[in-house]
Amino acid sequence: MADKYLLEPDVEFINQIQGLGGDTLKKCFQCATCSVACPISPETKPFPRKEMIAASWGLKDRLVGNADIWLCHNCGDCTALCPRGAKPGDVLGAVRSYAIEEYATPQWLAKMVNDPKMLPVLFLIPVAIFLVLGLFLKAVGVNWLNFSPVGEEIVHSKFFHTWLVDLIFVPTSIWVVAIFALGLQRFMKDIHENALLEGKTDKETIEGLGFLAALGRVIPTILKHKKFSECGENEARATSHMMVFYSFLGLFIVTNCFFFSLYVLQAHGPYPQMCAVKWLANVSGIALVIGSCLMIKDRLSKTDEVSTYKDWYLLFIVLGVGLTGMLTEMTRLGELAGLSYFIYFVHLVFVFNLFVFLPFSKLAHLVYRTVAMTYVEYAGRK
Amino acid sequence: MDKKYGVYICTGCGIGDSLDIKALSDVADEEGHPVRTHEFLCGKAGLDMVQKDIADGTNTLVIAACSRRVNFDTFRFDGCLLDRVNLREGVVWSHPRSDFPALTEEEKEAGETFDRVQMMAEDYLKMGMVRVGKINLPEPYKLDTFSRNILVIGGGITGISAAIDAAKAGYDVTIVEKEPHIGGYAAKMRKQLPVDDPYEELIPPIINAKIDELENHSNITVKTNTVVARIAGEPGNFTVTLKKPDEKIEFDVPYPLPEEMKQDESGKDLDVEKQQELYLEYNKGKADILTIDPDGEKFGAVILAAGWRPYQPEEGEFEHLGYGKLPDVVTNCQFEEMAAKGKVTRPSDGKEAKSVAFVQSPGKGEDDSDFSYASSVTSLVGLKQAKYVREDYEDGKAFIFYQHMRTPGLSENFYKSLQQDPGIFMTKGSVVSVSKNGEGMIVEVDDTLLGEKIKVKADLVVLGTGMVPATVDDPVVNLAYRQGPSFRDIGLFDGYCDSNFICFPYETQRTGIYAAGGIRRSMTMEESMDDATGAALKAIQCLECSNRGVSVHPRSGDMTFPDFFFQRCTQCKRCTEECPFGALDDDEKGTPKPNPSRCRRCGTCMGACPERIIGFEDYNIDSIGSMVKAVGVPSEDDYDEPPMRVLGLVCENDAYPALDIAGLNRLSYSADVRLIPVRCLGSVNVIWIKDALSQGMDGVFLLGCKYGDDYQCHFVKGSELADIRMKKIGDALASLALEEERVTQFQIAIDEYDKVPKIINEFVESIEELGPNPFKGF
Repeated sequence: MADKYLLEPDVEFINQIQGLGGDTLKKCFQCATCSVACPISPETKPFPRKEMIAASWGLKDRLVGNADIWLCHNCGDCTALCPRGAKPGDVLGAVRSYAIEEYATPQWLAKMVNDPKMLPVLFLIPVAIFLVLGLFLKAVGVNWLNFSPVGEEIVHSKFFHTWLVDLIFVPTSIWVVAIFALGLQRFMKDIHENALLEGKTDKETIEGLGFLAALGRVIPTILKHKKFSECGENEARATSHMMVFYSFLGLFIVTNCFFFSLYVLQAHGPYPQMCAVKWLANVSGIALVIGSCLMIKDRLSKTDEVSTYKDWYLLFIVLGVGLTGMLTEMTRLGELAGLSYFIYFVHLVFVFNLFVFLPFSKLAHLVYRTVAMTYVEYAGRK
Repeated sequence: MDKKYGVYICTGCGIGDSLDIKALSDVADEEGHPVRTHEFLCGKAGLDMVQKDIADGTNTLVIAACSRRVNFDTFRFDGCLLDRVNLREGVVWSHPRSDFPALTEEEKEAGETFDRVQMMAEDYLKMGMVRVGKINLPEPYKLDTFSRNILVIGGGITGISAAIDAAKAGYDVTIVEKEPHIGGYAAKMRKQLPVDDPYEELIPPIINAKIDELENHSNITVKTNTVVARIAGEPGNFTVTLKKPDEKIEFDVPYPLPEEMKQDESGKDLDVEKQQELYLEYNKGKADILTIDPDGEKFGAVILAAGWRPYQPEEGEFEHLGYGKLPDVVTNCQFEEMAAKGKVTRPSDGKEAKSVAFVQSPGKGEDDSDFSYASSVTSLVGLKQAKYVREDYEDGKAFIFYQHMRTPGLSENFYKSLQQDPGIFMTKGSVVSVSKNGEGMIVEVDDTLLGEKIKVKADLVVLGTGMVPATVDDPVVNLAYRQGPSFRDIGLFDGYCDSNFICFPYETQRTGIYAAGGIRRSMTMEESMDDATGAALKAIQCLECSNRGVSVHPRSGDMTFPDFFFQRCTQCKRCTEECPFGALDDDEKGTPKPNPSRCRRCGTCMGACPERIIGFEDYNIDSIGSMVKAVGVPSEDDYDEPPMRVLGLVCENDAYPALDIAGLNRLSYSADVRLIPVRCLGSVNVIWIKDALSQGMDGVFLLGCKYGDDYQCHFVKGSELADIRMKKIGDALASLALEEERVTQFQIAIDEYDKVPKIINEFVESIEELGPNPFKGF
């Protein structure tokens, strides 16, 4: 068995973290101002001081499988107060990026999602899938992709059949869940081992029911953005994050309602504007656009904190989803048939990006952070 | 000189408002001295008035105005004797009328009460007048032969820099270097720490450029393979005998008899004759210190830049670190030697050393101390050498385990830039063990920033051992002084050659010998070069002062020097032994032989002399003793409740300024004290205290610098010696049926002006509790 005290610094890991936006990590001189400044750091073994030295020593094992890195909401208090400009918040952000990639399978896809050069490919993938599948079905006589939809009313499913959409997105949602399941299995094991090694818990094993109960306790915290609003430096970000968060939640409900009405009630869209679900959809869509715009503005104005490709990619996709969604609806109501069908197609491409690459993009934090927060609640970390 | 007196009382700055100037003038008048008053004596009109009198022949002046520490140049009258009576800070400012009300007319008429402040002013004026009566104008001590050449001992970076600096200023310099080549350790390195902004990167050694520069100066002579056999004489006229290392010659300096040889088998001190006999035998073949080498070279001042040597661990000292046991554990000096030759490899098998652990503190023990003689330099060297590993191997790793990472000043930039290297890993921690692990080693460290215990693999372990000053092994300067060939070890500096690190850098305890570089404390090359400049300037100051026959430092420009009345000398040798600067030699009989240009004019000899035969023209047993006697001591014959009289002998270097500042801040203290500034508490002769008590004064206190580990005495030992003497005086007091508590000594720092009044008041209160001196009125 490997000696648990033996440290073997991984210089390559340091280089990678530096490349992911943690280029300042070596500046840390361990004064622990960050741990004192952090409003949400635990009282015992607080972060991010110990994470900073682990990073500067290239101790990958101590970081990637460490639940603490997910407790950080990157408010930037530590970065603002760091006397050496080591930007602990950004370093933790970089470590999280690394961790997402680490736990995702397949690795090549993870690399692709996070590589700016591959961005066109990411967009071409859904386009190719949509067209190839649609044309193939057409060839065998199933006309779910119709380039010349007819009828007075603009109905998007006449162009791109809802069944075609679901034929693509239902299997991919299963794949997303599967990838997360695989990743989480390793993730949970690692964070538990790390917690035991560092003495952050006295629980020997993770027991299912207790964990679920902990999840129940954590969910209100997440819904209220309680941790987020404890942060001082970037208070405004809690608002925009909340807008985006709740709009996704709203759109999730909307999607499920329409799924239900389509397959159970056999009622096809488009649905009337006075329908309550439609209201929710519209409000969510607007909130999504405004929220993501606020986030972009916030990132542009924060020159002292690093924004990496991963941040911009996700914001771009989120804004893209919101904008194309709203525009699809608006052009439909505006009776601009051709434009509306085109924008709908683009919208589907964006949704594909957001959804299918979820386990590889920064958005994966919604799973890892939730699990980490739940674990910490379960493990009784003080 | 015929003394023609003139007393001048300034009434400005509140003096006239507070004091009865008429009564004060009468005091001088009674002595038959002409008195003038002026409301603005330091102004043009006031000074003109004084100058006019001087033109008319007045040559003995008493200026009763502000403290002697202010308006020094304003009231400087060359060719005249002068005393400054401190009425402003010492009387009226420190004794405001709000606390010490003046007498009303009725009270004056009645004559039953007294005005303490007025009494104080009158006493001070009397003391000033009596002092100028007792002193004479000094004449400088001129050397018969004088050399302006400077000797630099040590040809490393410091010595070379000092030589260049002195040569540039126009002085002839000789460098002696014991090695066959100059350059020292600076010439044995792969790279060195930065010496310029931005202080971030290692640079190639600069020593060669320095040596080139040295060769351009025709007034620098370099003597390699040479050491100093002895330095005899005094600043301005040192006679130096040089020799080859390890040579034995007649003018090797004799060494004092070791302590154990001064005693017989039963541990009793041998008598003087026997000791002298043993001493001669011990130094057989060596000429006496007073014998001057006729072939010796003449120098005026010496710069000691003998540098350092690497600390050599004793056998088994760092066993837990594998030193001496594992071949791949080396010291930083051994590592540097290896790195200068080529790539960093393992000494055991010559294979690449890609993982190197730098251990900056020995660890293990309970404390977190670093290696002996380690310092910020060893921290910086650790960083530097870590960089070598990274230079040699792209995948190299360097670990630095430290208890203290000291990177003062801009060297912090260097630390920051090294920190950025992804292959350098640092943590605070206590290294517990270094053990063998296959071909490599495992270093185990406790209490690190990464956790309670960590281990790393290392191919090579480097111990950050310290830089031992050359003066630890050897006197180097080999002075032909009676106190011995080396600097006096006062047990505070671990063999470093220094006097007071903060107040008097460069000045060793031997006037005319100025230390710089690693001999003073471990220094980087940049620091050493700066230090060299400082020492060179000090050496030049010494030459230019000795040339004019005045004191070098700290009493720069003082023209007086101790004068001995040898007819009454009992050869007790106290002066020779107690002089903090080894200024006095003695002949075989023990008669002191003064070397005035070695002297710093502190007067410690004067304080030590039981026969009271040592004095200065303007500061001697009689001048101070007469001032003590001039203090009026009222008794019950004068008043029903006469005031106490307490004498304070105050060190003029720090304590007297503190009192002035107290006055400036209007902090008041008892008006029953009479203060006399002294050159140093070391110069206080107990006779003054006896005089004070026998004339009825109720108590005496000495106020001087701190002594001990954190000493602040300008003359190193003065206040400490005074303390010893004061303890001894207790017996004498007891024989007079006086309480020991009547005489005491206080320590004060120059910035503790706020504490001075309390110290004085509490002492006066304690004397009041003891009651009046029974001798009062006799």
